[in-house]
Amino acid sequence: MTEVPQERTRVLIVDDEVEFASTLAERLQLRGYDVTAVYCVEDAFNAIRQSPPDVLLLDLIMPGTSGMEALMTVKSAAPEIFVVLLTGHLDIEKELEGMGLENCNFIMKPVDISKLITMIDGATREMPSEKRLEAS
Amino acid sequence: MKIKNKLLVGFGFYTLLAVAMGCFMYLELHTIISRLAYVKSADDIVNNALETRRYEKNLLLFNDKGAINELDHYITLLRKNIGVLKKEIVKKIGAQEFAKLSGQIDEYEQSIHAIARNPADKGLIEKVRIIAREIQATIDAVAGGERASIDYLLAHLNRSMILLLFTIAAFIIAGAIINMKLAASISNPIRDLEEATKRVGGGDLSWRSELTGRDEIASLGMSFNRMQERLSAARQSLELAITELHEKQEQLLESEKLASLGRIAAGVAHEINNPLAIVNEKAGLMQDIIGISDEFQNKDKFMSLIQGIVASVDRCRAITHHLLGYARPTESVMETMSLNDVLADVKGFLHKELEDKRIAMETNFPVDLPQIRSDKGQLEQVVLNIVRNAIEAVSEGGHINISSGMKDSKTALISIADDGPGIPQDKVKHLFEPFFTTKGKKGTGLGLFVSYGIVKKLGGMITAESKSGRGTTFTIQIPVDFRQ
Ligand SMILES: Nc1ncnc2c1ncn2[C@@H]1O[C@H](COP(=O)(O)OP(=O)(O)OP(=O)(O)O)[C@@H](O)[C@H]1O
Ligand SMILES: [Mg+2]
Repeated sequence: MTEVPQERTRVLIVDDEVEFASTLAERLQLRGYDVTAVYCVEDAFNAIRQSPPDVLLLDLIMPGTSGMEALMTVKSAAPEIFVVLLTGHLDIEKELEGMGLENCNFIMKPVDISKLITMIDGATREMPSEKRLEAS
Repeated sequence: MKIKNKLLVGFGFYTLLAVAMGCFMYLELHTIISRLAYVKSADDIVNNALETRRYEKNLLLFNDKGAINELDHYITLLRKNIGVLKKEIVKKIGAQEFAKLSGQIDEYEQSIHAIARNPADKGLIEKVRIIAREIQATIDAVAGGERASIDYLLAHLNRSMILLLFTIAAFIIAGAIINMKLAASISNPIRDLEEATKRVGGGDLSWRSELTGRDEIASLGMSFNRMQERLSAARQSLELAITELHEKQEQLLESEKLASLGRIAAGVAHEINNPLAIVNEKAGLMQDIIGISDEFQNKDKFMSLIQGIVASVDRCRAITHHLLGYARPTESVMETMSLNDVLADVKGFLHKELEDKRIAMETNFPVDLPQIRSDKGQLEQVVLNIVRNAIEAVSEGGHINISSGMKDSKTALISIADDGPGIPQDKVKHLFEPFFTTKGKKGTGLGLFVSYGIVKKLGGMITAESKSGRGTTFTIQIPVDFRQ
């Protein structure tokens, strides 16, 4: 890793699939993001309470509190957080539209990393981190 | 002839026979009775004559005065009885002799009275005796034939008896023949009809009664034929209904099968999608790490190997994403929507791809199209799959036409036509089969399979029409208000 920006975008990944979440976290870290991965909704709430991230990557289908409920909780408590939903279904777009949520998007698993980066950077209006990776 | 008339004719014949026999017997008996009456009267005449002669002797020999009254009495009886048999006597001896007999009886009576007044007149006595003998002789000649009469009567009775036996025999034979004919003429057609009902009961509806004529049974036969035709028609429409029912049932079974197959496929796809996502991340991380490290042994080799893994993951992703399209993440949501909005949404969604290939997309959405109730998300996915295929099929600058409409009041239509290369006739029937693709590694062959399953699930139908070189048209039929 070369130069580290002063204001790194903080990303919180919430997914019960540990292997997925940790690997994705590592990949994003390589691209210069400040990433934390948690594996259950309770931990996610704690993490958000301690220091709210800029971006939340939320897996929709998780045991216990469903991703949708978690989304509603987060959105009502901290609407400024940009949420990217991780899902296997295309249909989710309709659901989101129906709920009229702003500052929210979705991406399908398996994740296309460049698409995800574009999405995050677009929302946080930062310099594309991908460039940093390539430059290194 | 009607059965009633047949029975009447039979009855009439019997009555006639009975009356004829009765008349004949009456005549026979009459003859016998009148003969017997003759015999009795003739006997009376002979007796009267004998009594008269007895009292004549009493008067003439013993001068018994009281005898005259007895004589008067018997002479009167004699005269009366001769009068009774006058016809027969005249027949036997002629009218002249009869008149002579009557005259002799009158003379005899007068002479007897004369003797009673003057018993000593020998001449008168002699005269009475002569007349008496003559009368006696005539009466014997007339009434003495009782024996012959009895013989005659016996013969007559015999003949009557034989005739009676013959008549009875004739009665029995003729009656039997007439009865048999009558019974046959009534029961044969009934037996025919019975046969017919048995055949119909056994399921042979082609049989027709061939009874002709104008009696009740023939008209029954005709009614039977009419009933038969109705029955055939009813059975035909029933068979038609059953075939239709079977088809419907098969369709239903097929859509059930597709729905459960879809559920399984979507379930499997979902289970596979998560490990696939992990593989994707791990391979990606490897790519990242090797990519940024300068001194990595066989760097290019590893990079191309990882590229291969990522490409395979992409193919698997295409498959799982298609299959996941079968099932919604949440329960099916039925909503009222405008079909035209759905189509416009899809068009908007594919905007970039259309532009890249400079495809002219024509839309024909009638504004008065009624709203429909269905699963919007799933319907969009179907249209998306089909339009995407069309985009992939046409060459640069090609044309695609999307139009909506109504098939009938219960079914809406979406049709998607392109001017691409079309599909060879022998391939059309495989279009909706899973994994049928002509796009090699770029296609999964699941787009149409999944679309077909979704539309079936929503109570509709997809059909494809294509001619090699002339483009392809997909038509989606969707119920206006679908209820599971
Ligand atoms: N509009 C069309 N014109 C010509 N061929 C078509 C058209 N639509 C479908 N086909 C044929 O039907 C095949 C099956 O289509 P389907 O959508 O099921 O799978 P695919 O398009 O091959 O794969 P995928 O949908 O995953 O990209 C296609 O490979 C193509 O040969
Ligand atoms: Mg396709």
